[in-house]
Amino acid sequence: MNSIIEIDKLSKTYGKDSTKVEALREVGFDVAQGEFVAIVGSSGSGKSTLLHMLGGLDHPTSGTVRIDGENLYALKERERAVFRRRKIGFIFQSFNLIPVLNVEENIGLPLLLDHRQPDKEYVRDLIRTLGLEERRKHLPSELSGGQQQRVAIGRALAYRPAIVLADEPTGNLDSANSREVMELLKLAVRQYHQTVVVISHDMNIAAEADRVLRMQDGRLVSDTRGGNRE
Amino acid sequence: MKGYSALAGRYLKQQRKRSVLTVIGIILSVALISAIGTMAMSIKDNLYKEAVYDNGSYHFGYAETDSKLYDELTNNVLVDKVGAMKQSATTQVQDSVTLTLKEVNKDALELAPLHLAAGRAPQSEGEIMLEEWILPYLPGEPELGGTTTLNGPDGQPRTYTVSGLLNNSRSSQLNFSSSVIALRDDVGASAGELTLLVTLRPGVDISDHMQQFSKLAEDTFMANLMVLSYMGESPNDNFNQVMAVIFGTLIGLVVLSTAAVIYNIFHISVLERIRQFGLLRTLGATPSQIRGLVFREASVLAAIGIPLGLLCGWGVLWLIITLMVEAGFRVLSLEQFELSWRPWVLIGSVGVGLLSVYLAAWLPARKAASVSPVDAVRGAGSIVRESYRRFRLPSPLQAFGVGGNMAAKNIRRNRSKFRITSFSVIISVTLFIVFHYFTQEMFTLTSSSNGEDRIAFSVTRSYQVESEDRQAEDFLTEAQIEAIKAVPGVHGVYGRYGSFGLEALVPKKMVNQEFLDISQMQYAEMTDGGVAYSRVYTSLLKYDNARLKEAASYLVDGTADPEKLKAMNGVLLVQAVKPEDPDTGKKTILDLTSYQVGDKLLLDLSGGAEGDGAAAASEVTVGGILSEAPFGYLYEANSLRVMAPIDVYDGLVGGNEATRPIDLVRDGIDIAMEDGADSGPAREALRNLTNETKGAYLVDTAASQKEQRQFNLQMKIFIYGFLVVIGLIGSLNIVNTVQTNLLLRRREFGLLQAVGMTLGQLKRMATLEGVWFGLLGAFWGLVLGIGISYLLFVQLTNLQGMAFRFPWGGSLICCAAAFAVGLFSVQGPLRRLAKTNLIDSLREEN
Repeated sequence: MNSIIEIDKLSKTYGKDSTKVEALREVGFDVAQGEFVAIVGSSGSGKSTLLHMLGGLDHPTSGTVRIDGENLYALKERERAVFRRRKIGFIFQSFNLIPVLNVEENIGLPLLLDHRQPDKEYVRDLIRTLGLEERRKHLPSELSGGQQQRVAIGRALAYRPAIVLADEPTGNLDSANSREVMELLKLAVRQYHQTVVVISHDMNIAAEADRVLRMQDGRLVSDTRGGNRE
Repeated sequence: MKGYSALAGRYLKQQRKRSVLTVIGIILSVALISAIGTMAMSIKDNLYKEAVYDNGSYHFGYAETDSKLYDELTNNVLVDKVGAMKQSATTQVQDSVTLTLKEVNKDALELAPLHLAAGRAPQSEGEIMLEEWILPYLPGEPELGGTTTLNGPDGQPRTYTVSGLLNNSRSSQLNFSSSVIALRDDVGASAGELTLLVTLRPGVDISDHMQQFSKLAEDTFMANLMVLSYMGESPNDNFNQVMAVIFGTLIGLVVLSTAAVIYNIFHISVLERIRQFGLLRTLGATPSQIRGLVFREASVLAAIGIPLGLLCGWGVLWLIITLMVEAGFRVLSLEQFELSWRPWVLIGSVGVGLLSVYLAAWLPARKAASVSPVDAVRGAGSIVRESYRRFRLPSPLQAFGVGGNMAAKNIRRNRSKFRITSFSVIISVTLFIVFHYFTQEMFTLTSSSNGEDRIAFSVTRSYQVESEDRQAEDFLTEAQIEAIKAVPGVHGVYGRYGSFGLEALVPKKMVNQEFLDISQMQYAEMTDGGVAYSRVYTSLLKYDNARLKEAASYLVDGTADPEKLKAMNGVLLVQAVKPEDPDTGKKTILDLTSYQVGDKLLLDLSGGAEGDGAAAASEVTVGGILSEAPFGYLYEANSLRVMAPIDVYDGLVGGNEATRPIDLVRDGIDIAMEDGADSGPAREALRNLTNETKGAYLVDTAASQKEQRQFNLQMKIFIYGFLVVIGLIGSLNIVNTVQTNLLLRRREFGLLQAVGMTLGQLKRMATLEGVWFGLLGAFWGLVLGIGISYLLFVQLTNLQGMAFRFPWGGSLICCAAAFAVGLFSVQGPLRRLAKTNLIDSLREEN
């Protein structure tokens, strides 16, 4: 199996002594290219911390994270930023779009940060797939929550990253929009052969994934493959 | 969008409110710098022009020298021009006026302080110029352009053409003697005593070569000190150094305050958006890209703010000066009022503006670049963790209920925001106080203005009238004086009286020891009734009511009311003197004696017949103490001046055996003009008066008086204009800082309202915050202001000794103004806050 994510004995501890919190305790797993993985667990189980580690946003206390063969935390800050820009796509619960940029520009931003012009054909295709053709020139404040999250998905896919990380992507959406977003993520896996890691405490979302990792108290407690995907 | 850097522009456009506030900050700062720079240059130029007017434009000169030195100087490669002057034959015209022929070369015409009233300078050897008042006395009574006969250089009569008329000098008219300036190109080569005036070539460092030139003829060398000082070429290194320190301090203060203002606003603007920057980091933006974005924003704002700032600074300056001129100081003619526009002030302002902007952007940019992406994605709200401090001391604001309590917490909540805001307010107050102190002292140092400056005409008894004809009665009647007073443009008419030199018996303990140390004076001493007295030189002057009225504005203490003085047998006293230290040549202003209002003053009018004792001296009461003399020299070097009302003077002097009745009467009048008034009607009236009064003689110095007065008035306008500009820009700065703070906290205010804070409580909270910053700024501004003023004082005393006179009045008004500005500047944003929808404020994305 061709592993795109390799995690080994990953630990993260916050604070000291009496305020010490062990957010992650020696977590380890691999994810193959093109897999759709859900990480579930209750609040405080460490799933968000795990996602931040995968995205190179935070520093682990110990252990390694390899994405596409690159040891993320052996890179310098700047190199990691560039790596993130090129290899990792983020989708957040609160969308986190840049309010001053329109739909098209938000989607193209990761490429612009790399001093590259977005592939127009690809971006147009993406926008069409996301159903945002009519809204191309709209600002985030002029979009509904579902539409905003679709833009965020577009942005995450714009650079054709190695992995897409989604942190409660449907947390702020109604059920219809949630379903739509999940469909799009699945579509990304199918159409663009993307690897997607979704965090959620919603079991319905988890049920859509190829594989479900369950976190509890900073530990990986179960790893179930071949969910209910049809 | 071409690249990610276009984001900077998008941010600025979207956050228009913040961008505008930042641009306003930049505009104010650049305006401050350009206004101060222009103002300072204008003041310096004005002082320089005045010094050249008074002393001439030469760099140094030699008195009583000969043609040998002239040759040596003209052959020196460093020397540009050598003006040569020689006094030769005198002519007595109409038996009363003595005219001395002064032969000068062309360079001397340019370098000497000669001021044409009409016509032109002599261009050939047969032409002369002389003071206007002499014309009627000249043989043939020529007009301008006419001819007359005077004794030539060889003592033989010669015919000259009057090519130019000079401004009338008061002293020459009163002394009935003056000079006739004639051109003679080869005067430098002629035998006899010469006066030489020298300038060095442009680009030559004058102060460096001064020593070399003084060695050529050390005894007769004289540097044109005032002019050189304003050129920054004083031979006295100390002076140049002091100037460098003083201006360095002032410029440093301005740059600091400018950077502070821009930093303040920029910092807040970046802080409030830091989450956006964190977000970009999650998308893979590198720290240097984020820094680049912030700097790009800074560049755009600078590009808008700096040119506007330059325009504003000059606009405000122009407006204030125009208004001031319109409002009161009707300067003779506005064309003469010049602001000096210097390219380097413009370049300097732009430079300092840019430096401040980038300096101010640097820290926020670093902060934005270093923001942790994890914090950014961790949800809504500001991600700047505010280090909340508990403080040990309860704040007085807590007395004002919940609003006060919250205000106290808000103020200290964010240490850096608190520091920046209070620094910005403090620096504005400090800036005003220090500049107030500095301008006040500079004015004292450079200006020598009192009532004497206004005197444009005098009418005196002519010396041509035989003394037997002189009556022991006042010259000119009260009715005649009243008539002159009523002429339009006349400010005042003062009687001219003789004065009396005497010695005051001052108890030794009342003589200022510091004065004795500096001046190295030794007064004669005597002891009487167990009291040791010093016999201090004193001049006793007779002041009529008009002079007393003028004296009232110089009162430090007491009264100048004629009736009150008469009732207490009182006099006015000027005990401030300006002695020169014989060792260093430094002059110091201080009090010679320590008399207070109500003290008895013993005056010995016996003409120094020692041994008569204190009992023989006349006793008067000190009715008022003046800061300086209202007429005549501002300060004597080592003597007291006593001004007595008519009755008191007559009582004192009239009893003296040596006094003749003629010595007590009015000898004539001095006429002071209003600033900018046309002297025509007064001249007309006075001519009529002198024509109809036997033995009356008119001294006309209106032209030079007007010019002299012009310099002093310009200085005043500059100085007050300067302070108004600084005050205005300082206040705007406080308003902008406090308002920025409030406007950027809308979401927080919404939250407070959401949890049940009433609008009233909210208003009280914000008002108290504003007031607190005002108070804080006032307090620390005052402390810093005094401190820095004292440092400047230490430097200034190197130039001229003086007491540390801190401008308490102005400073306290400034503090009160800071307080009021703090209070009122929060009201605008609060009104707007009251109108906004609560939900909108809560939703506002930070």
